[in-house]
Amino acid sequence: MLFGRDKKNAIKMVDKKNEKWTYATCGYCSVGCSIEIGTDAEGKVVGSRGVGGADVNRGKLCVKGIFEHELFSSSGRGDKPLIRQSIHEGYSEITWDEAASTMVGEIRRIQETHGRDSFAVVSTGQLLTEEFYTLGKLTRGVIGTNNYDGNTTLCMASAVSGYKRSFGSDGPPGCYEDFEHTECLMAWGSNLPEQHPIIYWRLQEAREQRDFPLIVVDPRVTMLAQKADIHLAITPGTDVVLQNALMYVILNEGLEDREYIDANTVGLEQLEMEVQKYDPTTASAICGIDEDTIRNVARLYAKADSAMSIWTMGINQSTHGSDGVVGINNLNLITGNIGKEGGTSLSITGQCNAMGTREWSSCSGLPGYRALENAKDREEIGKFWNVDPEFFPKKRGLAQTDIFPAIETGQIKGLWLIATNPMTSMPNTERTRKILEKLDFLVVQDSYADVETTQYAHLYLPAATWAEKEGVFTNTERRVNIVRKAADAPGDSKSDFDIFNLIAKHFAGSEKMNFPDKPAEAFEEMKVLSKGRLVDISGMNHDLIEQKRGIQWPYTEEQAVNGEEPPKGGKRLYTENGTFRHADGMAKLIPLPFIDNNEVPDEKYPFWLNTGRLVEHFHTRTKTGKLGNTNKYSPIPFMEINPDAAREMGITQGEYVRCVSRRGDAVVMAMLTQRVPRNMVFIPFHFFDCVNRLTLGLLDPHSRQPAYKQSAIRIEVLANQQEAAQLSKEMRNF
Amino acid sequence: MFNVRSDEPKYAFLWDKETKETNRYGKPIDLAKEGDELHGVSLNINGDCSIGDNPNRYKQHGFYFNADNCIGCHACEAACSEKNDNPAHIAFRSVGFVEGGSYPAYQRLNISMACNHCDDPVCLKGCPTRAYTKYVEYGAVLQDPDICFGCGYCTWVCPYNAPQLDPVKGQVSKCNMCVDRLEVGLKPACVSACLGNALDFGVIENVPENREQSKTEIPGFPRTDITNPNIRFQQTRQNKRDMTRTDSMPLKYHKDEKVGLYKSALDPKKGQKKEWNWAKLLLSHESSHVAFTLVTQAAVGGFLLLVLGNLFGINAFKTISSSTNLTPLLVVFSVIMSFGLYKLNMHLGKPHRFYRGFYNLRHSPVSREIAGVSLFFASLLGFTFFHSMDFNFLANVCAVLGVMSGPIGLYYMYKLYRIKARPYWDHWQTATSLIGTCLSFSALIIALFLLVVAEPSVTVFKTLATVVLAGLVIDTVGHLFHARYLQTGEGEAQASWYEQTTTFAWPFYISQGLLVVAIIAAFLNILDPSVFTWVVLLLAYLGSAVIKRSLFFALVIPTTMPGAFFWKNQGFQEHAKETGLAKMPQVGVEYEAHRVFNVSELIKTIKETSLKDAQTQLKSIFIWKNT
Repeated sequence: MLFGRDKKNAIKMVDKKNEKWTYATCGYCSVGCSIEIGTDAEGKVVGSRGVGGADVNRGKLCVKGIFEHELFSSSGRGDKPLIRQSIHEGYSEITWDEAASTMVGEIRRIQETHGRDSFAVVSTGQLLTEEFYTLGKLTRGVIGTNNYDGNTTLCMASAVSGYKRSFGSDGPPGCYEDFEHTECLMAWGSNLPEQHPIIYWRLQEAREQRDFPLIVVDPRVTMLAQKADIHLAITPGTDVVLQNALMYVILNEGLEDREYIDANTVGLEQLEMEVQKYDPTTASAICGIDEDTIRNVARLYAKADSAMSIWTMGINQSTHGSDGVVGINNLNLITGNIGKEGGTSLSITGQCNAMGTREWSSCSGLPGYRALENAKDREEIGKFWNVDPEFFPKKRGLAQTDIFPAIETGQIKGLWLIATNPMTSMPNTERTRKILEKLDFLVVQDSYADVETTQYAHLYLPAATWAEKEGVFTNTERRVNIVRKAADAPGDSKSDFDIFNLIAKHFAGSEKMNFPDKPAEAFEEMKVLSKGRLVDISGMNHDLIEQKRGIQWPYTEEQAVNGEEPPKGGKRLYTENGTFRHADGMAKLIPLPFIDNNEVPDEKYPFWLNTGRLVEHFHTRTKTGKLGNTNKYSPIPFMEINPDAAREMGITQGEYVRCVSRRGDAVVMAMLTQRVPRNMVFIPFHFFDCVNRLTLGLLDPHSRQPAYKQSAIRIEVLANQQEAAQLSKEMRNF
Repeated sequence: MFNVRSDEPKYAFLWDKETKETNRYGKPIDLAKEGDELHGVSLNINGDCSIGDNPNRYKQHGFYFNADNCIGCHACEAACSEKNDNPAHIAFRSVGFVEGGSYPAYQRLNISMACNHCDDPVCLKGCPTRAYTKYVEYGAVLQDPDICFGCGYCTWVCPYNAPQLDPVKGQVSKCNMCVDRLEVGLKPACVSACLGNALDFGVIENVPENREQSKTEIPGFPRTDITNPNIRFQQTRQNKRDMTRTDSMPLKYHKDEKVGLYKSALDPKKGQKKEWNWAKLLLSHESSHVAFTLVTQAAVGGFLLLVLGNLFGINAFKTISSSTNLTPLLVVFSVIMSFGLYKLNMHLGKPHRFYRGFYNLRHSPVSREIAGVSLFFASLLGFTFFHSMDFNFLANVCAVLGVMSGPIGLYYMYKLYRIKARPYWDHWQTATSLIGTCLSFSALIIALFLLVVAEPSVTVFKTLATVVLAGLVIDTVGHLFHARYLQTGEGEAQASWYEQTTTFAWPFYISQGLLVVAIIAAFLNILDPSVFTWVVLLLAYLGSAVIKRSLFFALVIPTTMPGAFFWKNQGFQEHAKETGLAKMPQVGVEYEAHRVFNVSELIKTIKETSLKDAQTQLKSIFIWKNT
């Protein structure tokens, strides 16, 4: 049957004429997918595809990755350094040398007037690891400010802090392969299908091979919650109570792994004492999970041959973020679920290179998980960099969330923002605006000239993005993977690596240090510094990394010399007894008292405000908001609200409403859905001048991470819908 | 040939080992047996004349969708758009969703849908230009945008929203089953990209590994008897009793406990507020259809009244036909019909390709309508001309042709709206409305003309008023039955009634009121014609006819796939256009581009088409070889 015509017509299909495929690692989230960028005969980027033989993604990509190649031609890119005297003037173009010398002059002027730490650097999780390493060298070794942090404080700081407190070091001990072994998986405030779709696919593959219980802890009925065997719809901010109650059941019913505890942990007694306060009956009144379910889950988790927990921002972005991580670690330690196949505490990280900055940027310490507080570490790095160890501070400086208040109160006068957008990402936008306005000198270094922070900048440095440069990322499972250059950066913009080197050269005295010209040479330095450390990458090199589609650390020089191939995957930490990174080799069981300091809903502000991510967008939309094939799924901000609550207020589907908190207000479009309870709304965090005008962001005492997910708001109906629509539109330049 | 990578993962390869003989609709799965002349012919993709080595090349393939597993991650849509280089506002595959239950026992059911490469492709049958072909290779239904003239009829008839009309380019394009990948044994791009392990693909009726069901229904998916779609579903998880749509359509899907299936039902999600919405009603893309159908029906009606009325010796029409008024009256009908045809043609995506409208006489009611109406228009012009020149024989020939072609054209005009996937139209009221217009509008035009140019004769006016009244009564009877049908019909029909009495409530009530006024005025004109009552009748009729015909287009709610909250949500698309959000291309909503009659393309086609090609083309319109 040839139906419709008698003779076959020739078929026309799109042929993008891909001539060459360049290997890269995706620059969005931390899953670390291998991606190939296709270019045609003229060298124009025309397509992308997942790398079939890469262990992480096995040929798959998510919606963002599939269109990542369109970033190279997206709008709003900067192509010239720009300068202005005051933020009330227009920008004018300058050369790179002028930009660098101005910047160096301003930094030194501010430091000479107000002290070394009065100039702050806030970086990101977006750069390549070699760039982080170079920035760290520049900041710690040349600029010398101790107020140097990354925006990872907004997403991963609690995980870092929790790992350090429990295990003595940062570094997720598990890997994606654990899905293939585990007998029970508990996801805490993690919505893989939306946030890390490729990891979700790995989980789905594992579940289709071999079914195992999936428990999801989330106040919202996320897609993962819908797929769960047990969904624990918890009261926001009470995870620690649930954890304590689970441990209460495990310890009181003798379900703990005594042998493992004895061989690997200290502090059981104090922990036992603390959890006695959280019997399931008491706990259920606080966390909203009934006592039978608590017992059921505790038994299920403890009795499984191997059980693992994953978590994301539901844990991290809370006033008990660090405690929540420690709680998960406690749970896994007492059940013997660390360092074994299918048993782990796996933090599902946010940004593509959040891990790289944690390992090598010197943000909160010194390279290779070294601490400023440790004299030997300062000595080692000082010697290696040819910097007087005394030049290093002896204690970590301020976190990003403390740097901003220090600007507010006048201790910090100058700021360098690198690939981060606090105007959208920090809690309490109006306060952030006020703070940025106060700066004597703000440098914004970003791929996009239209990033909202340029409204307050004095100097703008245009940076190359993603595969316009070369270097490595580390992903959630500690896999170092490489990005090769597939396209030229627009105009005069430079890679962040070259920008750091250029600025370093303009500082007097930097010539005694070595700033290599090529990322691969910086990688060689990192290798030397990694030897014998937890994060040992000394067996790797750029070419080998590409060849193996990424290598998990540790992979040592010794292994490489002995001809031991790096494994495809499945590398874990702490697989031997007593090899934790505290001095005694033991992991700490830490008691977690619960203090309820959340801004809970009340009569005036009756709704919980929950925030989170959408699969089609990345962070502050500077990338995905410009690409139609990602942006179209949510081009304007919206709010999930329960239809019963909406009906009470007379709000209908698709209507604009005003949300008001104690900080400010925001206009969003209402999406009526039973996904959220009657007293909660959910607003995605990607949009400028939106949800973070409302958030409180109380800081975690350990990690200084803000609690974005627990605020209280009220909702007001807007009589003039047309005006609201215009207002909402005006706030969207992209 | 499509390049298969050395590290191509296993999941990307087709897996069918054995296949069945016939599908569930009783049709053979093998579309060209060994030895068939269609065997071993290249698909000729982009000029590549090689032939793929897929062992199941001649078997009907189809998508398999595991609704339990879809997570709504958009990877399928993205992979498709990346491969086909589609701009944001076009997608061959889309994910929509329906929701049910209440917190925390809440469920969102995502449905990813592209083309179902149906056994009975209504798109192919409906397309007037023959842009569609169903191939023996994989049973793929492919569409060629280079043939398409952008009328969008395929988008009306398809229940799955598969053909995509590009408002910018003015042409349709759709899912091509990734036949280039199939040729080398790879699954389509969307399937290979799926992150929930929800989508699969293979020879139809084959159930993939690890899957157990092969259903043709899930909530939100239209019934299959319209097109016999080649898609199979798995859904083992219980759905909630009510699954609601989150787009602006006032629809939900309600479980019929007896049969366990879901039926569409009204979901009055915007309340009962009565609104005006004049602009939305009158200034739509469909306003050219309103103009065209009304004036064409008037012209055909007028022609028939004049010619047949004269023939059958009805006094009033004999009087008119024998007067000097006939020629100018015919000119009036010719002019208004020219206007209608112009409006219709210029609403096409590519108006300069108008001549392709005849290509599918074999299947398409649109082609037959165009043929009939065009022939009628030619007859009308011929009759007008020859009559004015007193060439009686030729005038008579034209009269005969016009009397035949006019009704044929109108019959297919009626048929083309009887679309199963559009319950609002799929009722005999579509015919009564058409006949009513033929009678009322034409008689009214004749009366108006006589009122202006000639001395009123009571008999003539009484007859004309009677014809007007007859048309109005037929129309009214149709409306009464239609109203009952809508209120008690399937969900989409009820939803149309709901829109009629809320979103467009006031225009609807006004049109009803005007209809009553027109009936009274027509009645008065029969009793005692006066200029005043004629003017009242004219105004009331015109107002009512235009509003009702506009409602006919504005109110149709197709049985089609649910959209999402922003994407594929008609309500949001309209909102984006109204507020100007659509001006940002990345919002994925586009305004309709101004249509240009591209003379140079037409001349180029004429120049490049050899006489032989033209003959072959012409022959193929009338002579058909295959089934």
